Amino acid sequence: MTLTLRTARESDRKVRRGRLLPAWALLLGALAVALIGTFPYYGGTDSYVLLLIGKFLCFAIFALSIDLIWGFTGILSLGQAVYFGMGAYFVALSLKINYALEHPTRYGNKFPDFMEWNGLTELPTFMKPLIYTPVAVLCAVAIPTFLAFIFGVITFKRHIYGVYCAVITLAEALILQEFIVEYQGYTGGFNGITDYSNYVGAPFLWFMLAVSVAFLLITRALTHSRIGTVLKAIRDNDVRAEFMGYNSANYRIFVFCVSAFMAAAAGAMYAAWVGIVSYLDAGPVFSVEGVIWTAVGGRATLIGPFIGAFLVRGLEFLLSGSWFADYWQLFMGILFIAVVLWIPDGLVGTIAGWLRRRKRGTIEQIRQEQDQLAHDRQHDWDPAGAPRAGEETV
Amino acid sequence: MALLDVQGLTTVVSGYTILNNLSFNIEANELRVLLGPNGAGKTTLISLITGQFKPTSGKVLFAGQDITGKSPDDIFLAGISRKFQVPNMYETLSVYDNVMISLRTERKVFKYLLKRVTPEENDRIWEILEFMELAAKANDPADMLSHGERQWLELAMLVASKPKLLLLDEPTTGMTTEGKRRTAELIRRIARHHTVLLVEHDMAVVRQIAKKVTVMHQGQILAEGPLEEVVENETVQAVYLGKGGQH
Repeated sequence: MTLTLRTARESDRKVRRGRLLPAWALLLGALAVALIGTFPYYGGTDSYVLLLIGKFLCFAIFALSIDLIWGFTGILSLGQAVYFGMGAYFVALSLKINYALEHPTRYGNKFPDFMEWNGLTELPTFMKPLIYTPVAVLCAVAIPTFLAFIFGVITFKRHIYGVYCAVITLAEALILQEFIVEYQGYTGGFNGITDYSNYVGAPFLWFMLAVSVAFLLITRALTHSRIGTVLKAIRDNDVRAEFMGYNSANYRIFVFCVSAFMAAAAGAMYAAWVGIVSYLDAGPVFSVEGVIWTAVGGRATLIGPFIGAFLVRGLEFLLSGSWFADYWQLFMGILFIAVVLWIPDGLVGTIAGWLRRRKRGTIEQIRQEQDQLAHDRQHDWDPAGAPRAGEETV
Repeated sequence: MALLDVQGLTTVVSGYTILNNLSFNIEANELRVLLGPNGAGKTTLISLITGQFKPTSGKVLFAGQDITGKSPDDIFLAGISRKFQVPNMYETLSVYDNVMISLRTERKVFKYLLKRVTPEENDRIWEILEFMELAAKANDPADMLSHGERQWLELAMLVASKPKLLLLDEPTTGMTTEGKRRTAELIRRIARHHTVLLVEHDMAVVRQIAKKVTVMHQGQILAEGPLEEVVENETVQAVYLGKGGQH
């Protein structure tokens, strides 16, 4: 079938699209990786700042996982910490169990001390596989991903999106938090899990850096590709997408699982790095914090969540010694409101938009030009014999 | 055999009968115009065919296959593409991308995962954009288009989806007289290669393109036949066209 009215010059047919990896991004990325990767050499391997940097990397991946679903697919999750927390708990439990094997408790038992306090006499059978690190790591990423799949099937297949979905995810986080506190014999309850050998140090920092870079590249490839365009289409207008043959629920479930996988991996590394995990790491407050980092850095920018997480958490650290620390949560709330009101695109989005405007003129200028063009064209297209308004009577 | 065969479709919504035992069919390669006053049930009929709502009773057969009550994405895959009354596209995507993801390809997530735009697909997209006179704006986001251009973009998306049947729900809504004429011309050209069911209010547009029309009234088919005959029909004049073209 041919539709061609006129043959256009091939040179007209140019798709303007950003590169998969622009040179400036590669350069800045390499610089950031070098700066963080060499920190143990110029900052010392036992400094508190090193611990913080590792923590921030995990937080940044966590925020990236929120950006993938919120920024690119329009799913606002207020319970993303569920997946982070589960990943963290599996790894922490495994490390704790192994630690207890070599460091018996006060009464000589070779299982985690918090279990002993809660009246358990031996390690529960279902936790025994966690002795093996590969099993624990597999559980830490696979189980949250599977849970995300179940969650997706329950909500997205029933066309529950937007605010309702956000509320359900929030409930999810509350349930997990409650569960952790309630079953303290297995989870450590309010005290969390601590006192085990963690992996703080240069090699694990490099590992976390590598994972961060890998996740960034994967999400970039995913969102820049053809399927990424479909995800954005579903974000913009899921009804149109459904009537164009896309089963939007399936696409949402897919991206939600990828996001949960990344959050779980971040949680797993977090537990191995900092050496303490608590119920707060699986709760709604932490989830919302992740959303705030993403919003501050810039939604749908991928690098924004990294900048947001480092900036907000870094600021919190710098101000932690002052009187200001008491009002930190209040400040976070105000910050979120301010970002939503004044820079809804976040830092990265706003700067990128500003650069684009300098290159191409403001949206208003472009609109004006377009309007003028449309106006001119209406005058051009005025053939003899076309019916005038009011003429089309029967 | 008819391409689309609607058999005894009835829809009752909270006590109101929107469609009442409605039956009609469309042959392949036909351009059919569906007329009817506001509230006649035209959009409801389209929503039922495309799976947005489920009928209370009745059947929709498409190419011999029963598609009653299937989901919108399955009905699209069967070969029916729908244009909404209000321009309905992906606002932040570029015009090019809007057409690109409308191309008829495999829609399953994992089969889509590594899909790239092939040179043939790229040519096809440009061909469609040039046909719809949107090529100059291919790289602009869709929300920068004027209202008329949006309507054309949605038409472009539908053409890209290679449908066996095109359902166009008032594609000239909100256009200037000139815009309507141009759109009508585009639809006439599209209809050379497609089966089209067009819902239209504007008689100028209808006169420009229609051969066979179906008139709906209160959820039923009132008349069907060539345009000249139908407009002469006294019942049609009474319920729809009114006196002196008031509609």
